[in-house]
Amino acid sequence: MHSNTVSDTKEHKKVFSVMDIATIGVMAALLEVVKVALQAIPNVELVTLLIIVFTLYLGPKSLIAVWGFVGMECAVYGLGLWTIMYVYVWPILVLITCLLRKHRSSQWPFVVLASMFGLFFGAMCSIPYFFMGGYATALAWWVAGIPFDILHGVTNFIGAAVLFTPLMKALDRIRRLQPQS
Amino acid sequence: MKKQTKIIISVVAVLAVIAILAGVYFALAPKAQQGSKSVTVEVVDDKGTTKPYTIKTDAEFLSQVMDELTAAGDFSYEGTNGDYGLYITAINGVTADYDADGAYWSILVNDEYGMFGADSQPVADGDDFKFVYEVYAQ
Repeated sequence: MHSNTVSDTKEHKKVFSVMDIATIGVMAALLEVVKVALQAIPNVELVTLLIIVFTLYLGPKSLIAVWGFVGMECAVYGLGLWTIMYVYVWPILVLITCLLRKHRSSQWPFVVLASMFGLFFGAMCSIPYFFMGGYATALAWWVAGIPFDILHGVTNFIGAAVLFTPLMKALDRIRRLQPQS
Repeated sequence: MKKQTKIIISVVAVLAVIAILAGVYFALAPKAQQGSKSVTVEVVDDKGTTKPYTIKTDAEFLSQVMDELTAAGDFSYEGTNGDYGLYITAINGVTADYDADGAYWSILVNDEYGMFGADSQPVADGDDFKFVYEVYAQ
């Protein structure tokens, strides 16, 4: 678990350790539980923050947890247009988090990232409408949702500002508990 | 960078994006929110005075347009719900009492007498409705 992917390949180890697989499974389950627990309140969610924190912990491997979460959502709600959105929207978050990884000593880059992700969530999700109905449809859909995007951005900011540091500390403690490989 | 500076930069960056989004919303949203049908309504009262209204609406039936006009102010109506649906007894405070003097409120749809009561009269884009105070000539 401690060795990164580069040394894994050097030692001809598998990319995913048993620990990774177990962690990813729990992470995917946590994403779904947190999503369901908060879904009664529109656009108040902790999925964004959890994915950021998981990505800082696991790196690009957290993509598997993200797609596991998307898969569970599909199993619960059935396939819809949102399936396409979820398949690409959350990986964008994983990608940006990976790029910001070296700034992890401070919570603020990630608080801003969580907030911006909420603010631009509607814009990112409007992309399928561009292919369905063209520029005007996508724009109208995005604009109609802007009040919710603003709410989403504000609540993500508060959630991340309050919970980022405790979550990172908890994950560091879990990391220390793991057997050295 | 000091912690305080980071907080300030973070808050300012987020607020800036919120301001831009709010700007886009207020610039573009009203068109998306307006009703899709544009109709005109005229009230011709017992003195022959005409009062015109125009409204953008998503209403299916004329009575919903009347409710929207009432909510917007400057329009009011009273009616009774009978076997044939809504029967208008008064508009803008002018009561038509058929039993007393044969007066009634008629509904004209695009200048022809309507076939339905107000609560079953369909509303189409560009429709022109008139409520006319009329007296049945004996």
